[in-house]
Amino acid sequence: MKPKYKLEPWLFSLPAILVYIGIVIFPLIWSISYSFTDWSGIGNKAFIGFDNYIRLFSDKTLWTAFRNNLFFMVVGTAFQLIAGLVMAILLTNITKGSNILRVVYFIPCIISSMAICKIFEKMLSVQPLGVIPAIMKLMGMEPIAFLSDYNLSLIWVTLIDGYKFCGLYMVIFYSAFMNISKDVVEAAYLDGCNWFQQYRYIKLPLIKNIFFVVLVILVNGTLKGFDVSYILTSGGPGNATELVATYMYKTAFSMSNFGYGSALAVFILLESLVAVGIVRLFEARSHKNE
Amino acid sequence: MKEIKSGKLISFVFYMIILIFVIVQSYPVVWVILSSFKSGEDLAGTVPYALPTAFYLGNYEKALFSSKLVRYFLNSTVVAAITLIGIIVFGAPTAYAISKIKFKQSKNLLAFFLIGMMVPIFSCLIPMFQIYNNLGLRNTYLSLILPQVGFGLPMCIYLYTGFMKFVPNELMEAAAIDGAGHWTTFLKIMLPMAKNSTVTIIIYNFVSIWNEFTYANTFMTKVNMKTLPIGLNDFVGEMGRRDWGATFATIVIAIVPTMIIYFILNKQVMEGMAAGAVKN
Repeated sequence: MKPKYKLEPWLFSLPAILVYIGIVIFPLIWSISYSFTDWSGIGNKAFIGFDNYIRLFSDKTLWTAFRNNLFFMVVGTAFQLIAGLVMAILLTNITKGSNILRVVYFIPCIISSMAICKIFEKMLSVQPLGVIPAIMKLMGMEPIAFLSDYNLSLIWVTLIDGYKFCGLYMVIFYSAFMNISKDVVEAAYLDGCNWFQQYRYIKLPLIKNIFFVVLVILVNGTLKGFDVSYILTSGGPGNATELVATYMYKTAFSMSNFGYGSALAVFILLESLVAVGIVRLFEARSHKNE
Repeated sequence: MKEIKSGKLISFVFYMIILIFVIVQSYPVVWVILSSFKSGEDLAGTVPYALPTAFYLGNYEKALFSSKLVRYFLNSTVVAAITLIGIIVFGAPTAYAISKIKFKQSKNLLAFFLIGMMVPIFSCLIPMFQIYNNLGLRNTYLSLILPQVGFGLPMCIYLYTGFMKFVPNELMEAAAIDGAGHWTTFLKIMLPMAKNSTVTIIIYNFVSIWNEFTYANTFMTKVNMKTLPIGLNDFVGEMGRRDWGATFATIVIAIVPTMIIYFILNKQVMEGMAAGAVKN
């Protein structure tokens, strides 16, 4: 439809454009410009060129955080993808009660990460004894304080974050399976396709697009992982559960190093752009192979 | 509709595996609810996975009257309500202009908003802090409302345009012949038709606003301005060392309202959150 006058579409969208520029675009650009300064939040900003970026490369904590973040991304993505997919497959294969089971399975998705972290903090606590160490004791093992264990804390942080969100991917996969035309499945059945073959050759290839959408959400989300690590372990013990976002946050807001924090913020931006780009590349290749 | 039969035994195995998954998934929540009814002796004397021996309400009394939970609850509600209104009021007309008013830049405008989906909030946090600090917005509701409206817009506009572009133009043209301008058409025809999109947008954003942590942790430092998640942290941190019962009760009070809404609207909530995540 034609506008009544030339400016009409802009009249509809101007408020949103202004709000969006002021809140998202403007700070983003500002962040980039801060990253070239040495600045503690108060007083003058000293322009230092690329010094912050050079510092990124030699910053051991950042590389530890980056390595942790890769682990968090790979294990978290795999865990949530598999848990969501398996659960969706199982649920599409039962007739009774699938609704209520889905509703219960989804519960952690609607609870704040703060509440989830506080629950797990208590469940994992050794002094006083929480559920998980108590079960270990019951089975004759020595209870371990997982969250203060240098080697085990990161896997718990990853799993707790995955625990919170895997219901979401179950729902996405479930509705994708439900949208597959019954005729296709019926035809395969008549052709002698067994249950496993149905998934291998028909259903899974048919939901490939959704699979990649989920992959992008997961990779993107885990790269920006923050809440669970920050709330539960605050990056510790040592730097064992430090992620890039928690490191950036602490650098800026606990150590008042706003210039270097901004460089880390730009690093997070580039990191997620590159990662999503890689997933898209795989997607394009998998379509080509067909 | 029936899936292809796979035999009774297999079906039984499926149910068992599903049940294990579901129990693992819901156990932490069930556990915290059960534990919140345990008295002090129960908590100290029995194993943590035991059921409460009596139905004890003292923890709730303590949690409600010795904390600012009610205030936190109110703050969360105000922030969520205004943010949701803001997202819809700014987003819906923009989506209408993009999908139903012909102008050269409409595609570019949509693309411009979609950039926002790729921007991590952490990349904007430092300047935001700086700006809100200088404008005196820290410790006001606006410091939580503004960023969440801004970052909520891309997904809102995307979802609305996705729906609106498939609404037949004839409907708009008929209205135009009757003398309706674009504003009237938008308000009287388009918005009521887009009800499902509106519900999806509201639910998806409500859950994330209600549970939001980063902004609240950064911008709200005054006790009276804290939202529920942040308030929970303080309270649990403070009470957690000496009073686990009250801590459990606090967590339960904080999660129950969302759970009630969820059990009433479970289908919409699941679909809304899934749609929101996929569109993001």
